[in-house]
Amino acid sequence: MSNEYTFVETQSLCPICLKKLDAFIITEGENSYLSKNCTEHGTFSSVLWRGKMPMADWIQPKERAQIENPVTKVNLGCPYDCGLCEEHRQHTCTALIEVTQNCNLACRFCFADSSKSMEVEHSKEVEHSKEMEHSIEKEPSLEEIRFQYQSILRVSGICNIQLSGGEPTIRDDLPEIIKMGADMGFSFIQVNTNGIRMADDEDFVIALKEAGLYSIFLQFDGTSDEVYKTLRGKALFDKKVKAIEHCKKHDIAVVLVPTLVPFVNIDQIGEIIQFGIEHAPTVRGVHFQPVSYFGRMPKAPQDIDRITLPEIMDEISKQTQGLIQMESLKPPGCENSLCSFHGNYIIEEQGLKQVSKRSSCCCGTQKAEEGATKAKAYVARTWSNTSCNEENEAETSDWDKIIKNIKRNSFSISAMAFQDAWNVNLERIKDCCIHVVTKDGRLIPFCMYNITSAEGKSLYRF
Amino acid sequence: MNGASENKVPWICAKCQKELVEEKVKVRYLDGNFEVELLKCPQCNHVFISEDLALGKMLEVEKGLEDK
Repeated sequence: MSNEYTFVETQSLCPICLKKLDAFIITEGENSYLSKNCTEHGTFSSVLWRGKMPMADWIQPKERAQIENPVTKVNLGCPYDCGLCEEHRQHTCTALIEVTQNCNLACRFCFADSSKSMEVEHSKEVEHSKEMEHSIEKEPSLEEIRFQYQSILRVSGICNIQLSGGEPTIRDDLPEIIKMGADMGFSFIQVNTNGIRMADDEDFVIALKEAGLYSIFLQFDGTSDEVYKTLRGKALFDKKVKAIEHCKKHDIAVVLVPTLVPFVNIDQIGEIIQFGIEHAPTVRGVHFQPVSYFGRMPKAPQDIDRITLPEIMDEISKQTQGLIQMESLKPPGCENSLCSFHGNYIIEEQGLKQVSKRSSCCCGTQKAEEGATKAKAYVARTWSNTSCNEENEAETSDWDKIIKNIKRNSFSISAMAFQDAWNVNLERIKDCCIHVVTKDGRLIPFCMYNITSAEGKSLYRF
Repeated sequence: MNGASENKVPWICAKCQKELVEEKVKVRYLDGNFEVELLKCPQCNHVFISEDLALGKMLEVEKGLEDK
């Protein structure tokens, strides 16, 4: 087995000049690599998949969806015409609006490269000081954000919304932004946050709730301060706990979102899951994000700097002592199979009941459009608060008990592997269902929006 | 299966002609196993699921467990 090689053709980008290149996915035994050659900048190889389960066995083929209202025409070809263009193969499941580029942290890893205004704030730990106001980037106005919501409606209709940044909670008018989206018909709005203001400012949490916030995506890299000092520049664990406490008090669901970085927090996977289960039903699940490399990079990331999806699945199983079995983790029905995995559980007194199983995946080709519809409903249901009407529900039968149990005790474990300039596979970009809306109303697949060359040059983020 | 819609009228198994009895039955959906009380034939063990149940509570459970 270890001497067998297979090659799959695909396309990628040169990490130096972002020129489109032919590429190969080369599988050697249990590992798969992306290999590509730029005539100007040389050959690049990056690990994609390491684990006992072969990549080929994981992939579920899909019949592409058609974009009904493409924004951009195909001119230069993928990935240079994003908007969405008519060649894109999946609908929007989640649309992201970046409501600010400013942040109250200076993280080592950040999609948005939002560190520009950080030095002042980081040193003084003041979120709204006059000094900071001079250094911040101009934020989009409410009217500009309204246009972005409208653009999402025009291209993709009602879908799930994630308000992101920067750190969205540094905007005092975030409740207005949430209410605006809710009034326009977006029924599931989530805020992507580091939780600092949610911990420090309970009145703000109340305002977010009253505006219609259902759920937060809480940056949560571990259960020790050392991890936060390494990745985020300061001890933050107590802030995370306090933010969750406030969310519990005001009935806002929390999804823990760890960025997994080799040699930093891989050994905390089990503890993070345990923490999540202990804080359910406020915490609805854990969504792991293996580190990807954006921004200016003096040298290419090495394979030891990465953790791949099968390795995460393996660690989850090992570090939970089999409480979560690998067999319960499945490829997605919406995005490309190589982008994510997820498992669904019900928390019971004696442990977790597994309600998903990989071998139950349907055989043959699935329709991408159906996958998108299901994923939208799944995300909104699984990651929402649970306690509405709970007290008033009369339990009259076994079925009522099951329904209540599912609502209250369901818990999800998932991961999404974002792509960077070194490991990007354009086939996955075409299947992307998470789209960032730009100021001019285009919808850009998340990874394409965030990818930068080694020099820090971006195709879409300006 | 045949019978009348009123609760008082017993349901009779069409195959065995036995009266259905309420019993705990294991049901499984998407690898979730649950125990619920259903009408069951004491002889052939077939269960009866009414239209109301199939389109009501049972559907609600299915939707709650639906995968993406």
